[in-house]
Amino acid sequence: MDVSLSLKPGEILGLIGPNGAGKTTLLRTIAGVLPVQDGSIHLGKVEAAALMSAADLRTIVGHMPEQVRWQGRQSVQDALLELAEMRGTSLKRVEGLLRLVGLADRCDTPLSGLSQGMRQRLTLAVALLGAPKVLLLDEPLNGLDPVAATAFVRLLHELTGKGVSIVISSHQVEGLAAITDRIALMHRGQILAVGTLDSVAESLDLPSTIEVTGTGELPNLSWCEHAEKATISDQNTWRVALPESNENLLADFVNRGIEVTSWNPRPPGIVEMLCAATGMDIDEVGLDIASAALLPHRRIGGEEE
Amino acid sequence: MNDLQRLLALANRVFWDRVRSTRMLIMLPILVLFLPGMAWGFSDPNIILPGGHQPDEPMEVLFYASLGVVFGATMCGVLLAFDGVSRDRASGVFELKLAQPMPRTHQALALVLGMWQAIFIPVAVLILLSLAIIRWRLGEWASMADITVHLVATSLILLWYVVFALLASSRTKDQGTAVAFGIGMWFLFTFLWALVTTMVAFASGVTIGEENNVQWLALEGALDLLSPNGVYHHLLETRLVQIDRGIAAWQTWSMAIVWTVLPTWWFVRRMETLQP
Repeated sequence: MDVSLSLKPGEILGLIGPNGAGKTTLLRTIAGVLPVQDGSIHLGKVEAAALMSAADLRTIVGHMPEQVRWQGRQSVQDALLELAEMRGTSLKRVEGLLRLVGLADRCDTPLSGLSQGMRQRLTLAVALLGAPKVLLLDEPLNGLDPVAATAFVRLLHELTGKGVSIVISSHQVEGLAAITDRIALMHRGQILAVGTLDSVAESLDLPSTIEVTGTGELPNLSWCEHAEKATISDQNTWRVALPESNENLLADFVNRGIEVTSWNPRPPGIVEMLCAATGMDIDEVGLDIASAALLPHRRIGGEEE
Repeated sequence: MNDLQRLLALANRVFWDRVRSTRMLIMLPILVLFLPGMAWGFSDPNIILPGGHQPDEPMEVLFYASLGVVFGATMCGVLLAFDGVSRDRASGVFELKLAQPMPRTHQALALVLGMWQAIFIPVAVLILLSLAIIRWRLGEWASMADITVHLVATSLILLWYVVFALLASSRTKDQGTAVAFGIGMWFLFTFLWALVTTMVAFASGVTIGEENNVQWLALEGALDLLSPNGVYHHLLETRLVQIDRGIAAWQTWSMAIVWTVLPTWWFVRRMETLQP
């Protein structure tokens, strides 16, 4: 793994990459669960950063692994108390956390009786046990219904307001755009690009596009440079994506008598960024292919490897 | 809470979790049958064992009743601890535990301590009940030294099997393999060790199975030091002057220390490097 990454107080960083990119391994390393084999993790300002051992990391980092399958007859409160004792956290905080994640009325429920969403919330409560400075969330939205997911995102923003830095790894990439301050694109154990959505798009030379829809027959767009082929999305409605750079485009459409019903500028999506950064096409990214090693691997600003 | 208190608190949680488990409820009748049941049988004033021997001292009865520990309690110990690591590892809870500031060494020791307590405490209670039964049947209490040696030896053999089961559990992520490892180890030392002893005796030119053959007894005694069950019986034999298999008490206690320290150390080392 070859990773160089910085995290600012109170920011949310989205870690994005196909399966096998190394996201979970990176999170486990930051959490102090896996050893740093070569390299180091520092806390603080660059000029006075303190080297963090695995034990130090476990003290300041809250870790929420992917899909913890809580099971057994142990009650929710007991399970949380057990982990709280390992961290030296008080019963009062445990009760507070159960309220925070909405499990206060489930204190005595056996773990086997929890739904997937409740299990996720219990895992989040565990991650928050030690009032962490850094919170690592691996696929946190899995199993959450839309209402719970909205509440979850609100909670994350509350935490960042208190200075907690958050790293989220998720396959629900488009949803991440609204949550994260910055994203890091990861592939085969390397960080390919880091920054805000705009800066990453810019560094990957991805232009914004305009999504145009209209009614009637499919228009012939051979006159329009770099236009994608228009497609029929449903009966009598067509859709096409155009590069934003074309000037006077709307006037051209009108002059040619093409009936346009919507004209929406659209910034490049995270999936497109991931495709551009990894050299994989959209189907391959979507399927998280096992043959990733066969694909070209591009470093940001560099040549294909 | 300091580190030791935290370790003991975690061990206490493991203990209560296991001792109140369904499988303990299932195993309890087996333990009752094997421990007080055997003490009842062997303390029968009319019993005559094969070879015409009649146990008439409390420690002798305890020695024969220790078969219940070897066949029943150790098996229950394995069945109690076989998923000590693998269950949490398969569910993902293990990763949460590893992400806590508590050192892995302490987590490993708490696991050993908790599991061992969960099997030893019920067994110890049943042994005390056995002592009362023996007193009632023979009209004589076992001496404090006999009781102490019996309890210490039993606690050790249960600890060894619990550690074996935990070691096996740390090697697997699925319960089936974990239980197969644990039971396999139990089967080897409980049943197959006699075969190993016989094979070594045959290869060494020692006449096999003759009770009064000094060579056979010496070889069997020496090979028993390499088996937890054998060491357990050597420990009990330190209180029975009529049995002499050529092994000194210090040798037996030394091997007991080795059987305690080595697997535990191995398990702790394993936990230190274990990945979720």
